[in-house]
Amino acid sequence: MAILETKSLSKSFGALAAVKDVSLSIAAGSLHSIIGPNGAGKTTLFNLLTGTFPPTSGRIIFNQKDITGTPANHIAHLGLARSFQRTNVFPAFSLFDNVWVAAFACGSSWKGLVWRKTDRYPEAAERARQALSDVGLEKKSHQLAREISHGEQRQLELAIALAAAPRVLLLDEPAAGLSPEETRRMVALVRSLKGRYTIVLIEHKMDIIMSVSDRISVMHFGSLIAEGAPEEIQRNAEVRRAYLGGIAA
Amino acid sequence: MNRATIAILLAVVLLPFVVRPVIAAEIWLFAIFGLGLNLLLGYTGLLSFGQSTFFGSAAYVAGWLLKHYAINVFFALGIGIGVGALSALLVGYLCVQRSGLYFIMLTFALNQLFFFIAYQWTSVTGGEDGMPGVPRPAFLGLDFKDPMLYYAFVSVLKKKSLWVMKRIVESPLGRILQAIRENEVRAEAVGYNVARFKLLAFVIGGAFSGLAGVLYAMLFGIVPLEAIGFVTSGNVVFATLIGGSGSLYGPIIGSFVFIWLSESMSVVWVRWPLLLGVAFVIVVLFFRGGVVEAWSRLGDKVRLWQSSRQKA
Repeated sequence: MAILETKSLSKSFGALAAVKDVSLSIAAGSLHSIIGPNGAGKTTLFNLLTGTFPPTSGRIIFNQKDITGTPANHIAHLGLARSFQRTNVFPAFSLFDNVWVAAFACGSSWKGLVWRKTDRYPEAAERARQALSDVGLEKKSHQLAREISHGEQRQLELAIALAAAPRVLLLDEPAAGLSPEETRRMVALVRSLKGRYTIVLIEHKMDIIMSVSDRISVMHFGSLIAEGAPEEIQRNAEVRRAYLGGIAA
Repeated sequence: MNRATIAILLAVVLLPFVVRPVIAAEIWLFAIFGLGLNLLLGYTGLLSFGQSTFFGSAAYVAGWLLKHYAINVFFALGIGIGVGALSALLVGYLCVQRSGLYFIMLTFALNQLFFFIAYQWTSVTGGEDGMPGVPRPAFLGLDFKDPMLYYAFVSVLKKKSLWVMKRIVESPLGRILQAIRENEVRAEAVGYNVARFKLLAFVIGGAFSGLAGVLYAMLFGIVPLEAIGFVTSGNVVFATLIGGSGSLYGPIIGSFVFIWLSESMSVVWVRWPLLLGVAFVIVVLFFRGGVVEAWSRLGDKVRLWQSSRQKA
């Protein structure tokens, strides 16, 4: 059953149609990848899904409810969390505080918001610890985010999304800028999250996509040009053309 | 009790013997004003150049009621806090719609707007002449006309304000505001309505400014036009930066340095603001965390020097 759907979703910036008539259906519990060359509109699609800006036309259905136009700060509370393509953390915060802020936001209650001490929220603290240990950073929880390596920051990026205890995770190139070794670890990490969350993954690295995805959608110049299981996508002539610029096809 | 608490207690006790009690009281009320600004500047990363809007509005309204209706001291303080918060709600609502330079200019422009209202509305504010005759009514037999007693009163309120601010910055709200300072986009994405939280910071800061404004009106018995002018807004930013924005005690140290310098230097040297300018340049270039940072760095140096001497 679909947990997240888009119906003829479009977004134009002036004359540029960044996303054109995209209808997607993400099955609950699956790992659905979105691939496509640079500038295909993948990140814009994520921005639409998370309410960064409203679509020009079309609808977004999450959990049978129309959430089109819901502002960004509400989206996380609905159970839709994202990670960013460019590392987007709280640099002067400890790793623990980074995830705590996300855990608190989606916690059961904001009681005592202006008065109670931050360490008096056992539920948020527990979820923050869990998120850090899920990505393997629990030993560094007291270090500052700006002091850890790029690879670790990518893991932290993911932990912040996890701390919201979402139902759907939107991961925007989690392996961007990672070394082969770090990439291998990130793939293992994403694989370990599979099944626990519904995951929508944007990625460039084909080996990652083919090995972890249940389903793949391909975008090109803002439109969906193909969708299917990994093997089908590998054989698809139109996809090859899009990627190789018509030379090999 | 930690060292900061002891230092503050000592300062409170000794200060009225070092400077005149009136100046000592001005230092602490300015510290309350600075605490409110610091929640915006240091914790949320919002440079408000219009804090005197709340300070001055509260001083005028509470001063007027004190003068014409002889209200009780605590009622006056409550009115001041309320007027400060309310004017901050109004101004903040407009300002948080924009960010960066536009935000700063909006706080400044609205400050000017309030200034000209006070300037024109002479029947109430006295315009350029100020609003004289604000009393310091006695309360339960405590005669606040005694400068020492009024000083003690302001000191207690400063201590309470510091405590309240400490609770606020150590609460989830404090951490959320810092998260907004660190990364607005991510704060929004993890589920916080950034504009709403900025507005809340404004209102709390406005309440502190309002409290300081009333104390100021009662201290000098007059609300001068400059209480709502942009120089006052600038002064509190100055004082907070010199003391150390982003640290809880920064504004307190800052207003001590600022008021003490301005009161003691202005009598011996007309061009004393030059000194302030130099201090400001030094802070911005070398100690972004103000006196608080300079002090802790000095402490590190001393410890390093001691340990190297022990080894030798």
